[in-house]
Amino acid sequence: MLELRNISLSLGDFKLDKFSLTVKEGEYFVLLGPTGTGKTVTLELIAGLYQPEEGEVYFNGARIDNLPPEKRQIGFVYQDYALFPFLTVDENIKFPLTHRRIHPKEIRQKCLETMEMLGITHLLSRYPSALSGGEKQRTALARALVCSPRILLLDEPLSALDPSTRESLQEELKRIHCITGTTTIHISHDFKEALALADRIGVMHNGVLIQHGDPVEVFKCPASEFTASFLGSCNIFRGEADGSCVKLSEYIQVFTLDQKHGRVSISIRPEDIIISQDPVSASARNSFPGVVTSIINQGPLFKIEADCGIALTSLITGKAATEMELAIGSEVWMTFKTTAVNVI
Amino acid sequence: MIKNIRAGDLTFQGIIVLAGGFMLIFTAAAVGLVLIRGIPGLISSISSPEIQFSIALSLKTSAVSTLSCIIIAIPVAYGLSRYHFRGKTLTASILSIPVSLPPLVSGTALLLLFGTTTLGKELSQAGVEFVFTPLGIIAAQFFVNAPYMIKIMKSTLDAVDPRLEFVARTLGLNQFEAFWRVTLPMAKNGIIAGTVITFARGLGEFGAALMLAGATRMKTEILPLSIYLNISTGNLEMALAAASVLIIISVAALFIFEALGGSFYETSRNK
Repeated sequence: MLELRNISLSLGDFKLDKFSLTVKEGEYFVLLGPTGTGKTVTLELIAGLYQPEEGEVYFNGARIDNLPPEKRQIGFVYQDYALFPFLTVDENIKFPLTHRRIHPKEIRQKCLETMEMLGITHLLSRYPSALSGGEKQRTALARALVCSPRILLLDEPLSALDPSTRESLQEELKRIHCITGTTTIHISHDFKEALALADRIGVMHNGVLIQHGDPVEVFKCPASEFTASFLGSCNIFRGEADGSCVKLSEYIQVFTLDQKHGRVSISIRPEDIIISQDPVSASARNSFPGVVTSIINQGPLFKIEADCGIALTSLITGKAATEMELAIGSEVWMTFKTTAVNVI
Repeated sequence: MIKNIRAGDLTFQGIIVLAGGFMLIFTAAAVGLVLIRGIPGLISSISSPEIQFSIALSLKTSAVSTLSCIIIAIPVAYGLSRYHFRGKTLTASILSIPVSLPPLVSGTALLLLFGTTTLGKELSQAGVEFVFTPLGIIAAQFFVNAPYMIKIMKSTLDAVDPRLEFVARTLGLNQFEAFWRVTLPMAKNGIIAGTVITFARGLGEFGAALMLAGATRMKTEILPLSIYLNISTGNLEMALAAASVLIIISVAALFIFEALGGSFYETSRNK
């Protein structure tokens, strides 16, 4: 188990402020946050590039923040891979083994196993400059994994890749984690990546961990407006709660299962809002008539915005949008369940 | 209008061609003249003990001073490139003072340091004599060239991504091993280029060496001092022979430097 306790560190304009984080043994943890929020610095601190000004880092109960990087056994893969350009793929992967007293035969064996796991045996004698992004990433992963690190740190491993490579590498990361069981911290700014990979996620903002937990939980019930919008909840409103009803304006109120009182924010995921041409009668208590103000084709899904007194955004399939013959100015009903309303 | 523009272009290009042509002819004429008149003399005077002594002493002193420059410049340049500390700019400025000093002044400064101070006297008593000895030549070459070497090494190390060293450390290497196995190979071309240019500059060092080591025939007579001594005694043939040796070595060094500098630039750009 890796534990960061009340870490403070300032580097120029940037600051980690009483940052705490726990990652369990064998867990795949995704640390989410916008660019420039200190995710990479956090990883570099765990790996030993920086010493915290305050706070401690523990691994399985033993303090490690005073150890030099080479004594920590923590693998690090940078976003731009940081392969040694003057060494071939094979030499890059052997690199961590050759200075230890290991028999050459064993080195070759280990190197080959790792390369086979990542499917890069055919690249053996190539130099990094002759590799594609995905191949570089696999080589960097192999180099980090070949000495069986206790923790694997991945700095935005998928963000520099094209969409199809990204998808296959995402599967690969999942598979490797299944095989090796290495405790992994993966940083990303893409919540879809986090949902696909993570056992647990953490959301970071301005050097502070603002929420962590089960990915589906955090996704459904973001604890702050920032988290809600960062995770793609575009329907965020402020209002006055009175038990199970939140008043957003004089005419608009939303029903929730929550029993809060006073000033609150609510968030509703766009995919939880159903669009229909006629009022929906069923159990859903939140249903508003409105006029479509914008339609954006996002590939498989359409993002529909309607003015219902408040601007509600819904994600529906292209098929549904065509069947309803939606156009700007169409009159629609926007409906969502009380359970879809997250009260912050 | 078009005609005017073309006429303007022609004038502009004409100036460039004329200026370039002038410099090319000027350089080739001056250097070529020395070679044309010096090389026959070199062939006949290569057997003279004086020119042999001079070549050997030049190569030896320059080799030792270049080696010393590398040993000192790499750690200094690493510090300037990688660490941030108070007074870094001031440190860098002080270190590069010899670059802007006339070599004669550098030589005078060294003469004062080694000739008149307690430090100089202590060293002299311990048998380390810099004044009017070949050791003085090495000291003079080192003093003048080390700042250049530091500059070349710093720009070389600046171009090496420090994260590569950090990654090497996460892979289990200590700081020294990471430097040795990652940063040094990455800096290889820069180091070789720096070595070549420092060696060539060492061979040509005159002013500082003259002040500290003096110009004693067959004792501190390196190639530049040989030219100076022979010109002043009217032995033009010997002087031109020594000059030809220096030209040949310098041009060779320039080509090696350019070749390495070029490939070094390519690799850092393609990174």
